[in-house]
Amino acid sequence: MKMRIPILKLKDCLIVSIQWELDDQTAISFQEDLLEKLHTTSARGVVIDLTPIDFIDSFIAKVLGDVINMSGLMGAKVVITGIQPAVAITLIELGIRLENVSTALDLENGLEKLERELEG
Amino acid sequence: MNIDSVDIVTEWDIVAARQLGRNEAKKVGFGTVDQARITTAISELARNIYLYTGKGNIAIKEVTEGNLKGLLVIASDEGPGIADVRRALEDGFTTSGGLGAGLPGVKRLMDDFKIETVVGEGTKISATKWLR
Amino acid sequence: MNKQIAGYINEHLDEILERWTIKMEDEKDDRFFQIMSEKVIDNTVREFGELVVFSLTESEEVYRVKLNDFSVKIVRYGWSVTFVLKALTNFTHVLYDKMNEDGYLNEQNIISYTEIMTNWITPLTHSIVEAYSNVWDRTVHLQKMALQELSASLIPMFDKISVMPLVGTIDTERAKLIMENLLHGVVKHRAEVVLLDITGVPVVDTMVAHHIIQAADAVRLVGAKCMLVGIRPEIAQTIVALGINLNDFTTTSTMQRGVEKALALTNRAIVEVKDK
Repeated sequence: MKMRIPILKLKDCLIVSIQWELDDQTAISFQEDLLEKLHTTSARGVVIDLTPIDFIDSFIAKVLGDVINMSGLMGAKVVITGIQPAVAITLIELGIRLENVSTALDLENGLEKLERELEG
Repeated sequence: MNIDSVDIVTEWDIVAARQLGRNEAKKVGFGTVDQARITTAISELARNIYLYTGKGNIAIKEVTEGNLKGLLVIASDEGPGIADVRRALEDGFTTSGGLGAGLPGVKRLMDDFKIETVVGEGTKISATKWLR
Repeated sequence: MNKQIAGYINEHLDEILERWTIKMEDEKDDRFFQIMSEKVIDNTVREFGELVVFSLTESEEVYRVKLNDFSVKIVRYGWSVTFVLKALTNFTHVLYDKMNEDGYLNEQNIISYTEIMTNWITPLTHSIVEAYSNVWDRTVHLQKMALQELSASLIPMFDKISVMPLVGTIDTERAKLIMENLLHGVVKHRAEVVLLDITGVPVVDTMVAHHIIQAADAVRLVGAKCMLVGIRPEIAQTIVALGINLNDFTTTSTMQRGVEKALALTNRAIVEVKDK
């Protein structure tokens, strides 16, 4: 069984809300789907909301990092929102700093931040 | 004493192992941050088994030592073993193209960490998190 | 003979305690006799004597309650374990001397006397030391909890700006606690900027700096910005001397400057209002 993560379009931004635990396969098809959607919509920004996610291991972190870099190559800025305190602490202890990743507290703040960055 | 285990053969078993870990951690009474630490550590260990050895097992059990209660995670496999344990525990060392957070990351996430490995026979990693 | 000894002690309690007090006062270095009022010393000494008698005459239950009350008291007064043990030894010596002087002891009963004293004093010592250490453990535990509670709380200052003052030495365990409180506070108060105030941290070595950098990284991941304020001159010197890189950080010397920067980051400023 394969679950697909829905990707919504709002003006020239894409919004992704990850609602359940990511297994490796879902993570990889999400990467493909997002890049495909960026290509077809020529969106300039992406917000990925991780509020319901209660852990991120090094594999998922790598997929996320890759998605951000690949989106950058395609001309889109990515903001990650809603990383939970427990998730942030485990990432730091794992030694994953996700440098140069733009973050915001929640989806709303994330969209505002994206708008500001796209204007600036 | 409570023992539960998951055989790691497919990618889906990684998900099963960490779900088991999360449930056990909740049962023992760990807070959300420690639950995330334990779940993440199990995910890293299970993925190591899946990527490098093909077949192995993750066992999770509640342990006590004096007044301390904790959760012990044992990852065992019959894979190639680790030739250079010291290097495997160095930050940034990876042979899989991942972020290289694997074992040193697990060591930081848990309280006790022990690794026994014989080249050609397999590896057993025991990691414990104590309830504060 | 058991009852006899108890009766004897009860009868001569005042004199025994007086002698005992004099003997204990020789332990000049004990603070108890130096700082406590005469009345407190008198009461405590009497209570100790009563406790000793209780252990011979009363039921186990009554004795336990009394023992616990007494232990709580002497821990609060700052008696050391050494002092407690000396007190017991001295008490037996005084009792022996006194009974001997009064001719209560003779060749026939000296053996059973010794036996009773041994069977009595040893468990008594154990129970007192045990009660003492239990009370002490509890005290330490409570103090540790109190320390943890005051160790790190995030204070909302303005909308979107929160402050966490750090006071005291930071070890690994506290660093973890600080990080958790910091992150949960940021999410709860929806802070966009957090000021981490290290004015009250006496030493910033490589380890403390490492913890602070990690905390700031984690704050960035949940979507806020962490600023370090309260950097004293000697802290700035050690940070540079140790080669710690805080370049990715916004740092300021005072809270005031920090607040100004935090306001600027959230597109606000403090303006003076002219009198009308």
